Amino acid sequence: MKLGVGVCAAIAVIALSQTALAAEDCSSSGGDVVLQARTPEVDLFDTPSGKKVLTVEQSKFPACTPITGRAPNFMLQVSVNGGKYWVPPYMVKYRFSGKLPAVCRNLAMGSNDEKVGSTRGLGEGCPKAGGAH
Amino acid sequence: MQRYSQDVSDLLVTGPYFYGTEGRDNVSVAVVDENTLHTLKAPWPWKYGDHARILDALLQYKPKAVVIDFLFVDSRSDDTLQNLIDEIGRYRNAHVPIYFEGGIDLPYGENPLRPDLAKTGVPVLDPTIPVNAGVARQYNATGRCFNQKPDAGGACPSLAMRVFRDTYGKKYPLAPVNDMMELVWGTRTAPENHWITRTDANGDQHSCFEEMSLLRRWYLAFFNTSAVKSPCPYTAEFPVDALLLSPDDKDVVKMATNRVIFYGGALQGAQDRTYTPVNDLLPSVFVHAMAMDNLITFHGKPYQNAISLGGKIADGNLVQIVATIPVILILSLIHWRGIRRERRGLRGTQRERSATFEYFFEKTVEKVWHYLAFGLALSVGLVLTRSVGLSVANWVEVVFVSVELAAMLLVGVPDAVWGYLHHVLGGMPLPEPAVSPALETVEERVT
Repeated sequence: MKLGVGVCAAIAVIALSQTALAAEDCSSSGGDVVLQARTPEVDLFDTPSGKKVLTVEQSKFPACTPITGRAPNFMLQVSVNGGKYWVPPYMVKYRFSGKLPAVCRNLAMGSNDEKVGSTRGLGEGCPKAGGAH
Repeated sequence: MQRYSQDVSDLLVTGPYFYGTEGRDNVSVAVVDENTLHTLKAPWPWKYGDHARILDALLQYKPKAVVIDFLFVDSRSDDTLQNLIDEIGRYRNAHVPIYFEGGIDLPYGENPLRPDLAKTGVPVLDPTIPVNAGVARQYNATGRCFNQKPDAGGACPSLAMRVFRDTYGKKYPLAPVNDMMELVWGTRTAPENHWITRTDANGDQHSCFEEMSLLRRWYLAFFNTSAVKSPCPYTAEFPVDALLLSPDDKDVVKMATNRVIFYGGALQGAQDRTYTPVNDLLPSVFVHAMAMDNLITFHGKPYQNAISLGGKIADGNLVQIVATIPVILILSLIHWRGIRRERRGLRGTQRERSATFEYFFEKTVEKVWHYLAFGLALSVGLVLTRSVGLSVANWVEVVFVSVELAAMLLVGVPDAVWGYLHHVLGGMPLPEPAVSPALETVEERVT
């Protein structure tokens, strides 16, 4: 009798964990998908470089949410509670079909011998001086 | 001479072989560089909301403190400003200190930090970096107060000093620093910087960790200095795009967790780069990071160019002169005793020696003399460093000066002057040497 209960419990645990795993990797959802929230709070923005409009607790952020858009600054568009928002990539765990760019740098030795002689953006937006040019 | 010896010390001695790594393991720099702008397709300047997102990404790792090395002086219109204000609140709730920098010498009386941000009560620090002949070799002990409460003496600590005091003050109480601390620049690039490579003058790509033999390093330091200097920073560095693209990367996690993070820019045309003795040009954020590194590595007792004697501050140059005097006196005494001994030998019984023996004997005495001078100066320097915290750069100079004086004594100042006059006046014959070939100086020959 005890053995039977133990076997049933083991089967139940395995079944539950497999369900949990399936939810975690969102195997049923195809394409790019946000698997789950990564940070304790997830900020939702109106545009990729816009204002924060909503903050959702980790537990309340929907799992396996399809990514409907991707901005050049890597913000991800998702649907939450019927609204479309942009979420920063570090706040969620996601699955991408494509590859992310590698992070690497090469520092040129020669650049150390010279210093830039101008300020970034100098002259931009200045009113044009009068006279013939 | 003093600054040259400081550079030599950083580049050849202290930097590669003796500077500890405790600071390096606890300080990181998060940079916005050209690649970041390109990767994120986010042209400069960024919106406040963009900075807020980076700061929030950093906060997830629970850093020890975050210093923002960007100035927010101009009150430009930006609907994401509230995001940055909210982020300051998040740092406060998470008990992670966050610091902003204040603009200095602003021509039209602008606020050092735009009022909307200053109103949050976030500490505003003085980012001034002193440069000596264009190179960052020292770091201020005090700075403008802005919104900080002055200490009992009426002064406010400089940026790195304040951050150190807040984060490490209990573990390593900060020693009083007179005027400025002397920066020691490490040369062994942090292992986390393996993602950076460097290109030499020939266009060949190298790792930042290529070892150079001691002899080659010393040779190049004198004949091709730029070949010894590396564009790779000593401090661990990561681009902020890595926070967004690979937040679970083990190096990013290591560099951002429980460290003091300086968040700054490495942008072309931003006019925020400084020469260092070991790297040439680096973004200035690394100078603040190196000062913090020094404070941690030396446990709150950084090297100084001035010392306190009996409650009074003594300048480093004065200390050097005082330190040199006993060395000169000891050498003079030994030399004088030697002359007296030889004079007595002249009058007494003189043993016969071969010319070869005399030659080698003289050479041996000469070498011993030099090493003795080096040893004495080195001892005085070490005593000054260990007991009163005088910078190594200062007593390295003492070594040079003392050895030079020792050499002058060995040759004999009167002989040197006489020899020079003889040469200038066109070969006036020197007096015939006296009895012993071991006698060298004019006064001895006259005797």
